[in-house]
Amino acid sequence: MYNTLTITQAIKELESGNLTSRKLTEACLTQIQSLDGALHAFLEVYADEALEQADRSDIRRAEGNVLGPLDGIPIALKDNIMVQNKRCTAGSKMLATYNAAYDATVTKKLTDAGAVIIGKTNLDEFAMGGSTEQSAFGPTKNPHDPDRVPGGSSGGSAVAVTANMCLAALGSDTGGSIRQPASFCGITGLKPTYGRVSRSGLIAMASSFDQIGPLAKSAEDAALVLSVIQGQDNADQTTSDVEVFTPDWKDTVKGLKIGLPRQAWAVKGIEPDVREATEKSLKLLESLGAELVDIDLPYVDEALAVYYVLMPCEVSANLSRFDAMRFGARKQGLPLFETYSESRAENLGSEVQRRILIGTFALSSGYIDAYYVHAKKVQTLIRDGYKKAFESVDLIVTPTAPTTAFKLGEKLSDPLSMYLEDIFTVSANVAGLPALSIPCESDGQMPVGLHFLAPWFEEAKLLSTAKILQEKITE
Amino acid sequence: MKLSKDEVAHLAELARLKLDESQIDKMTAEVGSILEYVESIQKVDVAGVEPFSMPAKSQGFRPDEAFDCDDLTRELILENFPGRAGDLLAAPGVFSNPKN
Repeated sequence: MYNTLTITQAIKELESGNLTSRKLTEACLTQIQSLDGALHAFLEVYADEALEQADRSDIRRAEGNVLGPLDGIPIALKDNIMVQNKRCTAGSKMLATYNAAYDATVTKKLTDAGAVIIGKTNLDEFAMGGSTEQSAFGPTKNPHDPDRVPGGSSGGSAVAVTANMCLAALGSDTGGSIRQPASFCGITGLKPTYGRVSRSGLIAMASSFDQIGPLAKSAEDAALVLSVIQGQDNADQTTSDVEVFTPDWKDTVKGLKIGLPRQAWAVKGIEPDVREATEKSLKLLESLGAELVDIDLPYVDEALAVYYVLMPCEVSANLSRFDAMRFGARKQGLPLFETYSESRAENLGSEVQRRILIGTFALSSGYIDAYYVHAKKVQTLIRDGYKKAFESVDLIVTPTAPTTAFKLGEKLSDPLSMYLEDIFTVSANVAGLPALSIPCESDGQMPVGLHFLAPWFEEAKLLSTAKILQEKITE
Repeated sequence: MKLSKDEVAHLAELARLKLDESQIDKMTAEVGSILEYVESIQKVDVAGVEPFSMPAKSQGFRPDEAFDCDDLTRELILENFPGRAGDLLAAPGVFSNPKN
């Protein structure tokens, strides 16, 4: 069962000669074949190419030319990340036959590092949703209970990792789309600092919030993936030229100050299971020597509202490119206006259409100041609030989501209740901070995630703390 | 604020989304409840606060220059055209048959 290994374990086996990338890749492909009919994590599996890549990796290893830590490691990509000459649907009917013209920067970095790209995973349409039910190609199921959602929008990537169909996967996170499915499935999900990872070749949802990051089996694995995909990129002007991320594994969390924002922990919608599991993890952190500090962090509720103004504005602008002209589905034989309006209405799902309408409204003359501009000002206050909070604490901790994985269909008819799932995760996007979810101790119930936020570009501190707690939990 | 059905129909037209009567009804209710929710931000005092904007890049923007693309990339772009005449993009006429 090589596919159940973490990347860190697999590297050791590959280095010692006990394992080949071919065997590892075959194990993942076999797992996909046996489970994906029921779970639907993948939209496309590249079986033949993956095995060819694996063989090339094995030759490199035999010749002593290993390209890096991910050489020969099977990795899945969310299907809004482009691989040249492969279908890239973003979970939408609009792009059902779209064939990507170029590689995303992260795709190129992974393949240059020797990683085996095993396939593309399911997502809510254009990454809009918290359950993967909004995919035009059908929902993905939670491996812990197939009657429940895996979270979203990177639900396919979360399930592919959880069900050992790959060793790690990439997702994208605009309001929690890596961390919430990681929480629902019981794995590690990292949203890097905005600007840490290039968005070139990621199909845009809300450009000022979108960030690509890893879903993995451990914090250590997430760090390995981040170290490969990060970096300043001329094709994405928002990538930062700060010092590159290098892991900095500490032995202890002693002396670390962890802030618990009282406004977040007072949120009424936190389910008892979630409260119990997260509080237990906090006690564990305390027993390891971390100092828990009650902190004041205003605008917890407002951050969600700010997000649900700014994000649709960017969505309405970004998705105007899907006008059925240069790519995407076109309804033929109509005058120009109807070509636009009928092609878009027939090929974009209702959640996407709703966000386009809200964004169109919030940017319209007469309302832009009260909605868009006002929200941008509150965004400044939110960022200032975090800046101030991080003067007195090293990290901030909340639950990842107020609930565990809900039943399929449960929240589909009430968009607002689906949006409330993002209450703890959106702040990191609104403020541009790095954040991560790791699973709390399992009691056999549905998984619960613990959510850590760090100051800008301090992923090393985030991951080191998560690793120490994770090792204690799985001890 | 609650939007009227006419306002939602106008937004749909601006956004180039052809919605029928029942879709407009549904969107009017859903968009209305979301707008009511997000209006909570209007209670936040933002006097003297600047709207957030991303810090400018130190090295500026890349040059806006055309660059050659390889044959595969070119072919992929052409293949994705939903209407194609040879190597040209075919699209409905802009001035022919204007709306109403």
